[in-house]
Amino acid sequence: MNAFVRRVIALSRKEILHIIRDPRVIYMALGMPVILLLLFGYAVSFDLDRLPIALIDRDRTPASREYAASLAASGAFAVVGRPMDADEIEAAFRRDAWKVGVLIPRGFARSLARGETAEVQILLDGADGTTTSVALGHIVGVTQAETTRLLGEGGATMALPVDARVVMMFNPAMKSVLFVVPGLIALILAIMAVLLTALTVAREWERGSMEQLFSTPVRRVEVILGKLLPYLGVGMIQVLIVTTLGAELFDVPVRGSLALLFGCAALFLAGMLGQGLLISVVTRNQQVATQVGLLSSMLPTLLLSGFLFPVENMACPLQIIATVLPATHFIVILRGVLLKGVGFDVLWPHMAALMAFAAVVIALSTLRFRRRLA
Amino acid sequence: MAGPNLALMLWSIMVKEVRQAFRDKRMAMMLLVAPLMQIVVLGYAVDLEVDDIPTVVCDQDGTPSSRELLDATLAEGTFSRVASVTDASEAQDMVQSGAAAAAWVVPRGYERDLRRGTPTSVQVLLDGTDTNRAQVASAAAQQMAVAHALPIAVEQMSRAAATQQRAPSAPQIAPVARILYNPRLRSATYMVPGLVATVVLIVTTIVTAMGITREKEMGTMEQLLVTPLRPWVLLVGKCLPFAGVGMIEVAGILAIGTWLFDVPIRGSLLVVFAGAALYLMSTLGAGVFISTVSSTQQQAILGGFLFLMPAILLSGFMTPIDNMPEFIRWLTYANPVRYFIEVLRGVLLKGAGFRDLGVRFAALACFGGLILALSALRFKKRLG
Repeated sequence: MNAFVRRVIALSRKEILHIIRDPRVIYMALGMPVILLLLFGYAVSFDLDRLPIALIDRDRTPASREYAASLAASGAFAVVGRPMDADEIEAAFRRDAWKVGVLIPRGFARSLARGETAEVQILLDGADGTTTSVALGHIVGVTQAETTRLLGEGGATMALPVDARVVMMFNPAMKSVLFVVPGLIALILAIMAVLLTALTVAREWERGSMEQLFSTPVRRVEVILGKLLPYLGVGMIQVLIVTTLGAELFDVPVRGSLALLFGCAALFLAGMLGQGLLISVVTRNQQVATQVGLLSSMLPTLLLSGFLFPVENMACPLQIIATVLPATHFIVILRGVLLKGVGFDVLWPHMAALMAFAAVVIALSTLRFRRRLA
Repeated sequence: MAGPNLALMLWSIMVKEVRQAFRDKRMAMMLLVAPLMQIVVLGYAVDLEVDDIPTVVCDQDGTPSSRELLDATLAEGTFSRVASVTDASEAQDMVQSGAAAAAWVVPRGYERDLRRGTPTSVQVLLDGTDTNRAQVASAAAQQMAVAHALPIAVEQMSRAAATQQRAPSAPQIAPVARILYNPRLRSATYMVPGLVATVVLIVTTIVTAMGITREKEMGTMEQLLVTPLRPWVLLVGKCLPFAGVGMIEVAGILAIGTWLFDVPIRGSLLVVFAGAALYLMSTLGAGVFISTVSSTQQQAILGGFLFLMPAILLSGFMTPIDNMPEFIRWLTYANPVRYFIEVLRGVLLKGAGFRDLGVRFAALACFGGLILALSALRFKKRLG
């Protein structure tokens, strides 16, 4: 046992020396989370802010101007163009000048004065679906608010008989960054852990130094642990950096237990490092390992984990993949601990899933290791 | 004597590069199969339309009116019932534990208030940790309440009007949306152009950067240097095969997009490939540049990442550029990925041609030329 620990430590030291000797890798490993956090924090937002729209007012009445003003007053839109007809809007869509056109037809005020329904036409550029769907939602909202106001004017002081009082739990200000940071931690850890281990082990195969390692009395498990532990350390430092910066710069709260957070991060990292190891043991080639690593870590974490797109919207086979994916569970845990302040009693199934994944991949790569050598 | 020799040198370095890249059959598979897998997964996974939000329903009123409201709400599709509880705190606990992402609580006395004409409200608790979903849910909840309330209000008003011997008046504004190019707002239709751009970016940049760094790491770069190869011939010979791979990927993804996801091709493919050629200058140039600042493949992949992530994020692929703060929006103007996505969306969905996309082409050519020239210079200097 003693010899086991000693050998693992010796191997870890060798790996740490490898890492330290190449300080650029360390700079990038620690600098990347910072850059990504800043980028995601500032760039990923689903709130519309003064989206340029084009307006055609064929009615030219106080009522139509009032409606146009209510669109601009919402802050989501800014009227930048006043084209003459709808064809001009379409031509501008092709040049990407505007994404939304609003056409108030003649007779708008007259219909309203008669107490009828007045239609406004909304032209949207469906090629940029993300912007368009948010914009459409805003326009419908503003229009309903206007309708409510008009009804109120018609019948003395009239409030709508039913309204929905929405309470945003855990994130009352609806800051996108609170939504992004948990996913970002998972993304950074997944990519870095998988790629770094995949490359470092594949490099030993490529250069033949793996054979040298095997001629020494170290056992497979010791090699694997010695390789994984230093990168586990790097990963934990990354978690620390992202949570600290998130709290400092973007006021991301830590409402639950920090110990639980780091414990779960270690479990998740173990799974990701194991995945990287498995890839390198199977491919034994840095270039192939990179491609497999990217495909198996970045893509699922970005797309299937619930980071940006909700899991329950996906097709059934993809939901199954999402359930197996450790990132899905890790993101639930991170949102739970950071934003909701929940603890072990709620999160244990997700922790069990992380542990199971880590155990399976590390066992698989150890098995595969041995067979390859024999 | 330089003429035929040069072509021969270029040809042989290209043959060497292709053999090296594809000697490992798995590499060939990764380069060609991986992108296709991505589009299939993405096409089915990414559905930005938020629906089926797991919802817990708490009907404290338990009257026909409250049931009518909840049934209408659930029928619309944004919210989907996972549980019904009687206690509001129970509903809140379910949102807290993640068992539900939304809770609708109809208070006791809802029907009574409606009858009396006293304004009443239902409470909608939303899990704000997923901002995107919560925002859509919030808008949908308010719209549904208004949609439910309007007929009631109109009825109340006409009843009031009847007693006062007035004509009923219920002025309303109805937005009629016409979404061009993608009437049903299908995600695959507008995601495929972004996907083409990002996949080509990831593959060509990383492969070029790692391919050159690998020669350094293995020491074979020195061997190449003692041959009569000129640095720029070496560079072009190394880049051209991957430009070919990039073009094949553009074609492959477009083919799958049209075949599986009915993505239209309304403009000319010539414009697409012309744009792709200019775009590849940027991506390959970035790959070469990364290789000149890295000495190991590990460094190259990390450096590649440092370039890829911002390039993808600031391209408008996943999140709207119009939502970004002003100074970040300025950064996107320096991003070739943005222009290529706009070219692709323009040609495929809007049927745009060279004339509509002139500015984008100019920008692509500009950045491509600049990046390629800069990295070629650096490459030459490092070798010389």
